[in-house]
Amino acid sequence: MEKMARVTTALGGNALTGRTMFCHLDAPANAISVCRDAAQVVVAGRNIFKIYSIEEEQFVEKLNLRVGRKPSLNFSCADVVWHQMDENLLATAATNGVVVTWNLGKPSRNKQDQLFTEHKRTVNKVCFHPTEVYMLLSGSQDGYMKCFDLRKKDSVSTFSGQSESVRDVQFSIRDYFTFAATFENGNVQLWDIRRPDRYERMFTAHNGPVFCCDWHPEDRGWLATGGRDKMVKVWDMNTTRAKEIYCVQTIASVARVKWRPECKHHIATCSMMVDHNIYVWDVRRPFIPSAMFEEHKDVTTGIVWRHLHDPYFLLSGSKDSTLYQHIFKDASQPIDRANPEGLCYSLYGDLAFAAKESLISSDSNRKPYIGDRRHPIFFKRKLDPTEQFEYISSSSALSVFETDVESGSMDWFVHTAKQYALAGRPLAELCDHNAKVAKGLDRNQVAQTWTMLRIIYSSLGTVSSTNLNHSMGKGSTALPLMNSFNLKDIPAGLGSESRLDRSKGESRTENILMDSSSTLINNEDNEETEGSDVPADYLLGDVEADEDDLYMMDHENPHAEEQEYSLPQEAFPLRHEIVDNPSALDHLQDKADSPHVSGNEAETVSLTPVESFSLISISHSLYENRLPSDFFNPIVRDTLLFYAEQGDVQMAVSVLIVLGERIRKEIDEQTQEHWYTSYIDLLQRFQLWNISNEVIKLSTCRAINCLNQASTTLHVNCSNCKRPMSNRGWICDRCRQCASMCAVCHHVVKGLFVWCQGCSHGGHLQHIMKWLETSSHCPAGCGHLCEYT
Amino acid sequence: MFVARSIAADHRDLIHDVSFDFHGRRMATCSSDQSVKVWDKSENGDWHCTASWKTHSGSVWRVTWAHPEFGQVLASCSFDRTAAVWEEIVGESNDKLRGQSHWVKRTTLVDSRTSVTDVKFAPKHMGLMLATCSADGVVRIYEAPDVMNLSQWSLQHEISCKLSCSCISWNPSSSRAHSPMIAVGSDDNSPNILAKVQIYEYNENTRKYAKAEALMTVSDPVHDIAFAPNLGRSFHILAVATKDVRIFTLKPLRKELTSSGGLTKFEIHIVAQFDNHNSQVWRVSWNITGTVLASSGDDGCVRLWKANYMDNWKCTGILKGNGSPVNGSSQQGIFNASLGSANTSLQNSLNGSSASRYFFPPLDSPRAGSRWSSHAQLLPPPPLIEQSCDAGTANLQYPHPRRRCVSRPLNLLPENEGV
Repeated sequence: MEKMARVTTALGGNALTGRTMFCHLDAPANAISVCRDAAQVVVAGRNIFKIYSIEEEQFVEKLNLRVGRKPSLNFSCADVVWHQMDENLLATAATNGVVVTWNLGKPSRNKQDQLFTEHKRTVNKVCFHPTEVYMLLSGSQDGYMKCFDLRKKDSVSTFSGQSESVRDVQFSIRDYFTFAATFENGNVQLWDIRRPDRYERMFTAHNGPVFCCDWHPEDRGWLATGGRDKMVKVWDMNTTRAKEIYCVQTIASVARVKWRPECKHHIATCSMMVDHNIYVWDVRRPFIPSAMFEEHKDVTTGIVWRHLHDPYFLLSGSKDSTLYQHIFKDASQPIDRANPEGLCYSLYGDLAFAAKESLISSDSNRKPYIGDRRHPIFFKRKLDPTEQFEYISSSSALSVFETDVESGSMDWFVHTAKQYALAGRPLAELCDHNAKVAKGLDRNQVAQTWTMLRIIYSSLGTVSSTNLNHSMGKGSTALPLMNSFNLKDIPAGLGSESRLDRSKGESRTENILMDSSSTLINNEDNEETEGSDVPADYLLGDVEADEDDLYMMDHENPHAEEQEYSLPQEAFPLRHEIVDNPSALDHLQDKADSPHVSGNEAETVSLTPVESFSLISISHSLYENRLPSDFFNPIVRDTLLFYAEQGDVQMAVSVLIVLGERIRKEIDEQTQEHWYTSYIDLLQRFQLWNISNEVIKLSTCRAINCLNQASTTLHVNCSNCKRPMSNRGWICDRCRQCASMCAVCHHVVKGLFVWCQGCSHGGHLQHIMKWLETSSHCPAGCGHLCEYT
Repeated sequence: MFVARSIAADHRDLIHDVSFDFHGRRMATCSSDQSVKVWDKSENGDWHCTASWKTHSGSVWRVTWAHPEFGQVLASCSFDRTAAVWEEIVGESNDKLRGQSHWVKRTTLVDSRTSVTDVKFAPKHMGLMLATCSADGVVRIYEAPDVMNLSQWSLQHEISCKLSCSCISWNPSSSRAHSPMIAVGSDDNSPNILAKVQIYEYNENTRKYAKAEALMTVSDPVHDIAFAPNLGRSFHILAVATKDVRIFTLKPLRKELTSSGGLTKFEIHIVAQFDNHNSQVWRVSWNITGTVLASSGDDGCVRLWKANYMDNWKCTGILKGNGSPVNGSSQQGIFNASLGSANTSLQNSLNGSSASRYFFPPLDSPRAGSRWSSHAQLLPPPPLIEQSCDAGTANLQYPHPRRRCVSRPLNLLPENEGV
């Protein structure tokens, strides 16, 4: 309230109003300054010296101070300052080293009042004493600061910085006698106006020139400095040694700093080159400007808050010859646009998540007991000096959500890649093997597909027919049949709503929901209730020897404790089973008192009879008529395409390799290549180099095949004469000996050969490894301390 | 499902981006505090900060890894109007003794006149290329002609997008049928009708990038954009983070006459749109197979989205967690996962039911030394859990907390499609 009251008195009862506006100047501005009443602004530059009044909607030129016929360098200003006590008093620092005062109360057109020609070089800065009417201070490129009494013709005292040029001088607001001066060599000096012989205090504030400084308006003894090193630093001068309390890193050298009125921690800066924007920083958050004004098209040379006690209006002049009034509400706020979160999915399914702490902790749904326990810790940690003021936390919490093995991780991919057999055995065996691998990883759809492929392509009719009989007779291994039904039923067009999709789509990582639902279906269809283990036992007994039985495996697997969650994988086969084998019904229990029955049940019941009929007929025709396997090619092709679209390129490529010529013609070369490159890329991501190499080798695309032949060159030294081997082959042509002898067993190494790059000796991988366990010297006896990577 | 491991990042301001490397073994974070940190995963799964250095003189918005074939290379971009390329130096430095590796700046890309908001390496098969976008609406594509020399980058293309750009994403497809493509999102929030997502495609004939598509339906500021990994798909999937999460598919239409060399036309469908975050969505990220999308929003949650076989996308999980370290130096932390029920109010739920998943709320144990401070688990509704489980043992062994907690059959909602 106190502060508010002061503002209103200071503003004379009515707050400033206005809008963001600008006016064109005739020439670039070097500096600006406002009158005490906040209604006028003076703009000074090399070729301009004008006073504008600040109206509601626009700037209006009031007075041009450049008068007289012959141009005088006295009008060319490096700096200008308007006295804060006397509305008629202005001072400029002319580029020719003259300090000029101007009296607006003069009746003549030329308002020039006094001329002090004491500095030898350009005057960089002039400054009136905040409370003393007649005291003016100047700082010059020549290294001197002079204090003038406007009632006298000459300076009253001269201060020598004993160092380079003075860039800025500022009277302290807190201390009547003190002023600060900044220097090109990075130093800041504090002077007592009564003691011109020696500075009170000096410290190095920046690397390189200190271009500007500003005392905090609320007499706290804080001094802000800005330098070419792109830093703004805030110093506490109350202590005996100036202490840096804040440091803001900006993106370009800092030309001006100005504390924002009424906002203790805010400071406005502009830059000397490159960057044309004006930033307002909260020094407690030194990394992102809290506001940004982007209007200027060239370097901003002067910034000034319009009124001593109003934090919302900022005036600025620029080299682009414009004068701007900026309104705070029109400022862009980088913080608001800055992204408060980071999120990344890792290869293995882990999620890294970084978020602004306030976003996470301000959540209302949070479980109370967590909050209670956490908060003390939370705050204890954050008690650093910047936190004593209420301001929004600006730190992020980083966490990694790790998937566990059971669910979302990519382990299945790695396992599958490692265990699949892709070549070297008859097709049927490969398919069987791969089906088993898939089944072992609970990927039943994939397993079914492999089984299907075996049936379609395996030439051994007996195998497939017995298999079919087998499964039909049992009624429990309906899976192959199921698929054949599906595949036949669907035209090659592969409608997305088809049952093929349905069955395939269920594969992969997240089975759990589906599982639960399938169990429900299962249960709903079977009304009788028995102990939960019964069906498993029963079925198990029935099919003990049948490895193809996917569905059974699921019942066999779960430990009792997992019953609730690790439910059987497959919903649809079961339906057929149930209809085909009504006897099984009796033994399936109903353990669900689930309310969500009706829809599924209805669906199941209505669909099942039709399906099972067609199923039987098709499977009969399948093995009796012995269709040529080519017949199925379009279907298999669509299956592969489907897997690829589902993101399971592993399956597509594996089948492609296993089936080889049988299917290759069906899929265009470019697609195949795309699959191969994608799969190889994936394998390499998982660092499965051997497998990726194998895939490259087995691939039939020329573009892929040459991948592991490109740019692999080994430079080999002969292990005897230690010269580079020039020709291919085993024999070194210099010493006529076989180069690749194992240093341990003295036999020729075929296969994996490792050697030390230092002494060229090496041998069988195993031998060398064993040797190095006991000794670090070369096994060839050359005395070299071998290094292997 | 998920176990949260909180990491004391020790950044002094907001973290704006997290990025895993190609093999998922390293992680880079960047922050407004102008630094980038690199984290390596140790054998037992802990993340150790192996490098932390000041990269820019402004907020670092994004950090991204290059393909390891080009070395251990990072790119960062910043408010200070530059993007930079960094390479890890292995060997002789005695920094190694302190477990710190050394990163050197290989180049600074200074072409932008405004804040550089995103940087992304192109897919490997295109060579060593880098795209940046900046707040003044320019996308720049740089190439290092010699992959061994990371300090030489030439500006190959400059695409003017007319709108302030916030994010870019390369189409990762390695197929020869897909020409290089880049999607650009804009966070311009002035009320205009310009599309906030634009897609540019490389034209072999003119050797320039030209606008192939603009997603006119996206009219709100876009904060992130991501193409899904293309594992042999014939079409592209694009996730957009704006005021909601959107997923688009882009099916290339057959080029009528390949000789014409014109741009590919796409059949664009929006396949999902979720406003479950109830606020701005800041980030989207795909899993490696492009089947699960993670999004994070102003609600502080991460939501996971997955399509079923019908191409209906659903929420399959909500992760809500923050980790804050107990003591600043170590990485041990107490994790707070208040894991709400994933409510999936979705369009096209097949039989009208919605899927629900629950995560195990943290019964956080004060045991120092346990970094597994809690577990997010697929679990029944909260009331069940609060019949106390022993947190300590649950944390230690972890196998089946539900075994102890659940004493009656679960009322899981049926769902007969594969989620």
